[in-house]
Amino acid sequence: MSVSTSASFEYLERLPGVTFRRLYQQPSTALAIFRRMLPHLAKTFVMALLYMTRPLPLTDLDSWVQPNSKRERDQALSLLSRLHIVTITAPSRDDPQTVTLTSNFGSSLRLALTGGGEHQSFGVPSHNALANMDAAFLDDYARDQWEGILHYVVSSVAENRGHGGDGPTASVKHLLEVGKLVTKGKFTGGGITQAGFSFLLQEVNAQVWTMLLLWIENAEQMGLDSVEVLSFLFMLGSLELGRAYSTSTLSESQRQMLTYLVDFGLVYVPSTGTTQFYPTRLATTLTSDATALRSVSAGFDAALTAASGAKGFIIIETNYRLYAYTSSPLQIAVLALFTRLGTRYPNMVSGRITRDSVARAISHGITSDQIISYLGTHAHPQLVKVASASGNPVLPPTVVDQIRLWQIENERMKATPGFLFRDFDNLKEYEACVRYADEIGVLTWKSDAKRMFFVTRHEQLRDYIKSRKGK
Amino acid sequence: MPRAIRGVLIECDPSIKSIIVAIDNESDHAYVVEELDDQTLVVKENMLTSLKMKLDDKLKDTQIQPDESDLD
Repeated sequence: MSVSTSASFEYLERLPGVTFRRLYQQPSTALAIFRRMLPHLAKTFVMALLYMTRPLPLTDLDSWVQPNSKRERDQALSLLSRLHIVTITAPSRDDPQTVTLTSNFGSSLRLALTGGGEHQSFGVPSHNALANMDAAFLDDYARDQWEGILHYVVSSVAENRGHGGDGPTASVKHLLEVGKLVTKGKFTGGGITQAGFSFLLQEVNAQVWTMLLLWIENAEQMGLDSVEVLSFLFMLGSLELGRAYSTSTLSESQRQMLTYLVDFGLVYVPSTGTTQFYPTRLATTLTSDATALRSVSAGFDAALTAASGAKGFIIIETNYRLYAYTSSPLQIAVLALFTRLGTRYPNMVSGRITRDSVARAISHGITSDQIISYLGTHAHPQLVKVASASGNPVLPPTVVDQIRLWQIENERMKATPGFLFRDFDNLKEYEACVRYADEIGVLTWKSDAKRMFFVTRHEQLRDYIKSRKGK
Repeated sequence: MPRAIRGVLIECDPSIKSIIVAIDNESDHAYVVEELDDQTLVVKENMLTSLKMKLDDKLKDTQIQPDESDLD
């Protein structure tokens, strides 16, 4: 969840303001951003500002927030202005600072919440549908497509290449290479990359977003308009599973995009009628908010594992031995990323988690937390039962601790990209800037003695320093 | 007027830091932008991967890997 949110965040924040203004013309986009991207406090601000006709003085807004939550307030406001949802007037001596919703976002969100208008941005249901599709059929279809992609990523590293199915289409393969999830280079052994490894261990929704962001970046090179592409994705997130939607209201580039989404398994287009498409669960959960997502993705996980048997299949002992009751090549390949597998039986593989195998995984970019959470979520029901009966954690603590220790052993240093601020004229200026950086949540290190500090992003701070100079 | 310098903040043990400084000295100060204190320093963003590789090389000589081949 958090992975996908932050990835899509970073992409969105890079877009220029003009793009945002065009994006927010679609009510579905405004709603999707509102429900998926914003923390609760930011949502509260937006809701309060939604029907306000005049700009609100910033001091009035402060009165809604408890003084000791100033940090959260600043973070919420900074996020809102980065996403161009609110405009805050520059501080000046004559007028107090005020905050307003940007007009496009405001009117679109009002339309989305209360209905009305001829915007058609929530998709147009097709009326001459053959029949509404069975949800189970769409789940199967989406799973087949998506597992095909995952298989391709995994089997690019596994020894037995090209098992099971035809694999994804050429365009998907190309995308995976462009996105550096797999490489074709034969001299390096070919196959999977660091990014690919962490891609595999993400949950489905995060994987879908990773692929889509790759695709969008690629689409710009193909001459597709990123605004249309994004608003189409946000629209998909508001559609209903199992319903047919008409393609007649889509723009040319959106129709082009549909063929790619079919490859990903996000939409299903029946072979007989080309004027309809069915969104699958992968598409309809794109922009659900956190709580809804958990249940929906749980539903999807259930669908994913239905074919390969029980959900939990891994037994791990305190002596680092691991038994996995699975015959799925996908699961075995994933396990092989961080386990030294010894023996394979018809319904089970056994192996051992060793220092070397974990170190190898970490060198490929997998974190110990990813390994532990993978083991935890796929723990065999028997392991869960014994653990809950005796009140112990599901995974043996010795193993969990050791995996973490192995990681620390290999992580000699913690690296944070960003900006070092130095050469402040006086202590007062330094202190004000440090406090501001801390409040907007970008400060990572400071030294009062040297009057230097380190931040992860500098745009707002630069504006702040300029505005101080202006005073 | 304050200045902003792009870079990567490295937080590590003092021992590791001294190795990084040694690497920097060997390669004509191609890595370090600023030494902050004995556990933090800022290095150039584009040199991070190369620094990590050199650090791993140095550490290989100083560490003894336990033999795991007989544990199965």
